[in-house]
Amino acid sequence: MSHRFLAKQWSLIYVRDVLRVLVARDFKLRYKRSVLGIAWSLLVPLAQLAVMYIVFKEILRLTIPHYTSFLLAGILPWIWFQSSLITSSMTIVENRELVKQVGFPIAVLPTVTVLSQMIHFLLALPILAVFLLIDGLRPTLALVALPLVILVQFALTVSLAYIVATLQVKFRDTQYLVGICLLLFSYLTPVFWDFSGIPEPFYSIFMLNPMACLLTAYRAILLHGQLPAAKPLAALAVLSSMVLSSGCIVFLRARDRFVEEL
Amino acid sequence: MSTSNGYPAILFQDVWKSFDRHAGQILLRDRLRHMFHSHRPEKFHALRDISFRIEHGESVAVIGHNGAGKSTLLNLTTKLCRPDRGVVEVHGGRIAPLLDLGAGFHPDLTGAENVCINAALLGLSRRDVRKQFDSIVDFAEIGDFINEPLRTYSTGMMMRLAFSVATCVNPDLLIIDEVLGVGDLGFAVKCRERIMQFRRAEKTILCVSHSNDTLKDLCERAIWLNKGEVMDDGPIQRVVEAYKNAMQEHAVAG
Repeated sequence: MSHRFLAKQWSLIYVRDVLRVLVARDFKLRYKRSVLGIAWSLLVPLAQLAVMYIVFKEILRLTIPHYTSFLLAGILPWIWFQSSLITSSMTIVENRELVKQVGFPIAVLPTVTVLSQMIHFLLALPILAVFLLIDGLRPTLALVALPLVILVQFALTVSLAYIVATLQVKFRDTQYLVGICLLLFSYLTPVFWDFSGIPEPFYSIFMLNPMACLLTAYRAILLHGQLPAAKPLAALAVLSSMVLSSGCIVFLRARDRFVEEL
Repeated sequence: MSTSNGYPAILFQDVWKSFDRHAGQILLRDRLRHMFHSHRPEKFHALRDISFRIEHGESVAVIGHNGAGKSTLLNLTTKLCRPDRGVVEVHGGRIAPLLDLGAGFHPDLTGAENVCINAALLGLSRRDVRKQFDSIVDFAEIGDFINEPLRTYSTGMMMRLAFSVATCVNPDLLIIDEVLGVGDLGFAVKCRERIMQFRRAEKTILCVSHSNDTLKDLCERAIWLNKGEVMDDGPIQRVVEAYKNAMQEHAVAG
């Protein structure tokens, strides 16, 4: 179809421009009318850190070395993952005015939510660096692997975000389901506990959880100064791209019905 | 761009479109219930076997009363939905949809921020937006308010800004849905003037409206829809006459 108007949707420059204005829009909207503004993206993980530290270190007396750094290195990626999926479940419904605009490239919306959450994550990284330095941990060469781990997490989150966003339009129950699943998964994921000591059959089973695999990789780099195990990360990258492509296909199939069902 | 390689600007061929009567979000609960009770959603046929062809540079009005299928026809043209059967083709360059003006605006963002977002969505690059920004604001007669949140605007101001952004992209196809009454009288004249400019520049115009008089100046051809079928298609004078007579008969009979 010789239709530049449609062709424009697939031009990379157009997609880049749209991603940029929509991520910026996300930020402006979030903080426009809040007093503390962007500081909220730091306050949420810090509050969680304080609570978990008191409960697990002071009261339950877990003996994990460098516990504050350990916690924060788990909390930040987990918050990125969790809030991405929760917001992407609502993104299409919440942006229905945009979705109904002629020629709006709906397919960018889940990516926009994951991108904005990633920016919050990146903004909080300096805080993590401060905690690492306080704990006497120095950066090592392993740090070069960090962007790669972030990239794998991005791919994983985006691929799940497409599935969640598609389901939400069909079934409004999805957002509750996502909330429950994330809550349960947060306990299965070593955010505040360390599972490196548990016996073998269980260890492998736990590592099937993609977020467990990612958090272990973050901690290997940041706390132990080691390169993360390559195999699980590579497997995760392959898995994410497979889920991403099927998620995109499902999303694009369903897209035509979004406007009718909103 | 306007007379491109023998394709019509818009082509509808044997188009059918129906909606489920209870379309919309379905809770899992309903889904589960439907699994046990066989359930066929009632179909509502918005368009039945519609065919027409609009050439580049033509200006065409779609008339008909509420529920005749006018909005569905526009939604199909703008690809907001797809036909159940048949073919919808749209050829040419940019579309400027003057539908639901300002719907994509967010009340908490300033006029300027909204302009930049909307223009980017319409396909303008950042440089184009910067270049055209002043003329967009000037045309809308917003002045210093441009840096205030949109929720402080009057409806007229918001419509003016939306119209101004929507038409800044130099479109080849203009789709108009009863927005000629934008803002106050002075601005309505300005809008008409801009639309007539597109008309003189031989852009394709597809227009939907109840008010037949504005249509007669703007369009040369009309398509009359009734209950999803084409009743008449031809010179606007004739079709509008026929439509009015039918309406009157209907009123007398009813």
